Amino acid sequence: MSILRAGRLLFIKDLRVLGRSRGLLAILIGYPIVIAVLLAIALSGGDTKPSVAFVNLDAQSGRTVQVGDERLSVDDYASRLGEAVNLVRVDAQQATQALDDGKVSAVLTIPEGFVSDLQTGIRSPVITLQTNPRSPIEAQAIERRLEAMVFRLNEALAGAYVGQVLHLVDLIQNGGNVALFGRAGSLMGLRSSEQTIRGMQAALRAAGKPEEAAKAASLLAFITGVGDNLDLAKPAAKAIASPIRLDVKAGAPGREPLSALGIAGALVVGLGLVGVLLSAALLSAEREDGVLSRLGRGLVSPGSIIAQKAVVSAAAALVVGMVLLGVVAVTTSVTVGRWGIWVIALLVAGLAFGAFGLLIGALARETRTALLAGLMISLPLAVVALIPGSDVAYWASAVAGFGPAARVFQQVLVDPEVTTSLWSGIGLLALIAIAYGVIARFVLARRMHT
Amino acid sequence: MRGDALLTARGIARRYGSFEALAPVDLAISRGERIALIGPNGAGKTTLLSILAGVGVASAGTIEWAGGTALAVGWVPQRPALYPRLTARENLTLFAGLEGTADPRAVADGLIERADLGKVADRPASALSTGTLQRLNLAIALAGQPVLLLLDEPTGTLSPDQRHRLWSWLTELVADGDMALVFSTQSIDEASRSADRIVTLVAGQLRMDGTLDDLIRAAGTDPSGPAAGETAFMALVGDDQ
Repeated sequence: MSILRAGRLLFIKDLRVLGRSRGLLAILIGYPIVIAVLLAIALSGGDTKPSVAFVNLDAQSGRTVQVGDERLSVDDYASRLGEAVNLVRVDAQQATQALDDGKVSAVLTIPEGFVSDLQTGIRSPVITLQTNPRSPIEAQAIERRLEAMVFRLNEALAGAYVGQVLHLVDLIQNGGNVALFGRAGSLMGLRSSEQTIRGMQAALRAAGKPEEAAKAASLLAFITGVGDNLDLAKPAAKAIASPIRLDVKAGAPGREPLSALGIAGALVVGLGLVGVLLSAALLSAEREDGVLSRLGRGLVSPGSIIAQKAVVSAAAALVVGMVLLGVVAVTTSVTVGRWGIWVIALLVAGLAFGAFGLLIGALARETRTALLAGLMISLPLAVVALIPGSDVAYWASAVAGFGPAARVFQQVLVDPEVTTSLWSGIGLLALIAIAYGVIARFVLARRMHT
Repeated sequence: MRGDALLTARGIARRYGSFEALAPVDLAISRGERIALIGPNGAGKTTLLSILAGVGVASAGTIEWAGGTALAVGWVPQRPALYPRLTARENLTLFAGLEGTADPRAVADGLIERADLGKVADRPASALSTGTLQRLNLAIALAGQPVLLLLDEPTGTLSPDQRHRLWSWLTELVADGDMALVFSTQSIDEASRSADRIVTLVAGQLRMDGTLDDLIRAAGTDPSGPAAGETAFMALVGDDQ
């Protein structure tokens, strides 16, 4: 009897038994998913937009700027940016602290003189976006969202500026009163100037002063006027290209954002409970049904049973993990991608949790005992694994794979590249799976041959 | 009916720490033989059967198969060992598959017919009556086409009619003389009626290995009295009963 054939037969049997045990299935898979989703929503704030601290250094001016038909204040501008991200109004110090603590994903700063610069149009005001380098994937997503919003606002402002420039051209041609970019006055216009020069020339000639008429003084004055007006038009034209610029800077390394922590936590709790409880229940059920004595007669080796149950656990972890990530992708601002790495991480974590559950299942005499023990051991370890930035918590929860799994999930969420550190974490999970699998195999062998 | 030698167990013993569950036992089994292991609770019957089945591990002793190669053994534990949420057919197909048979479905169909499980074949095992469940338990043990069938108190929980039905089938199974049957029981009547040989175990010790007449002789009780077998068994067991 080949190991693969026996494993396949028992795998199909387990799926069949699970499919007919709806109550057990609800406890083993439904319950962890519900807990994980609630945890994810709680830790990520339930926002579909990322949280960005908003610092207004131009608040004291209280000024507004009239651009064409648009009257714009900093508050108006902020409320428009708030369509792209969830702006949290704080001062500069609070913003730095919030970014460092991972409570916000970035800091958006409106500089002093923002409205003034916008009004004069002499230079483009620069708003600054400071992102969290510990979460580059999310930072890129926020950057894209804000760039898109700034582009849309620029487009609207540019339209107004273009109208103003056209009005300016009309003034140059026809003259009139001007109140643009902070300057006011009466403009003669090209046509009026021409008429004036002609009139002056005619008058001078009539007065017998043709030499005087020939003088180009007034013409020079006209040229000067045109030049001055063109000087005004030039910065306006620049402003059309980019009325407001977004400057992106990487902030100091802080903690991972709460959103990533929340999703990783949800995955650890969900997969941990599914893996541990499912494998513990499946193995202890073999014993409770009295089937181990039959299987132990050489039909299936203890190692094959352990490997087969671990595969069931890994498959369940993959399904539950993908469901959770799908929910995350649809309902939160967190960017979920790189599905290939996710498949590897979820499978290996499922194997580690499953192997730990198999040890509990091999030790327990009844399914109820195995489930209770699995729950009582797993929940505290999962909670400890979620304590951010603590090496003690990491290694304490690493005994059952929770700490390394949480770290691996966070890395897949926030690191734009697959790093050595990520592979080390996956390798550690694999080692944990092998270690518990070997111990569970020996315990099971003793149970099968008493 | 005794045919060719099947296996010989020598000095089979089992200790749990300082407790001796089974003192060294010698037992030879031949094809077509029906052997009853009889004794009170804790006599070591299940221990000996489980060691012969390969489920339990002996602390000492050897089992030698005639021809040098271990043959297929069917194991029928006292409590049905099967998956309650699978149907009778699914249980049989699964175990036939695990036994390595080429066509598990065909084997399962054949066993369903032989065990008279046709009407309940597609019901979950958990929905079967005690007698039907024990027939399924036995059918599963036959999936590997064993030459030695080991049954641990197979009729202990059955009603008289269920017991009769099961023994009818077991008698059919060994009728061709190819398969040996070893079963444990606490009933001297069942042992004397269904076995060719009675092996009496008391407190882990083998007290007697022979026929009912041998047992009565060994006990020194009246062979013509009412319930002669039971009287002899009680005398042999003595205070250990």
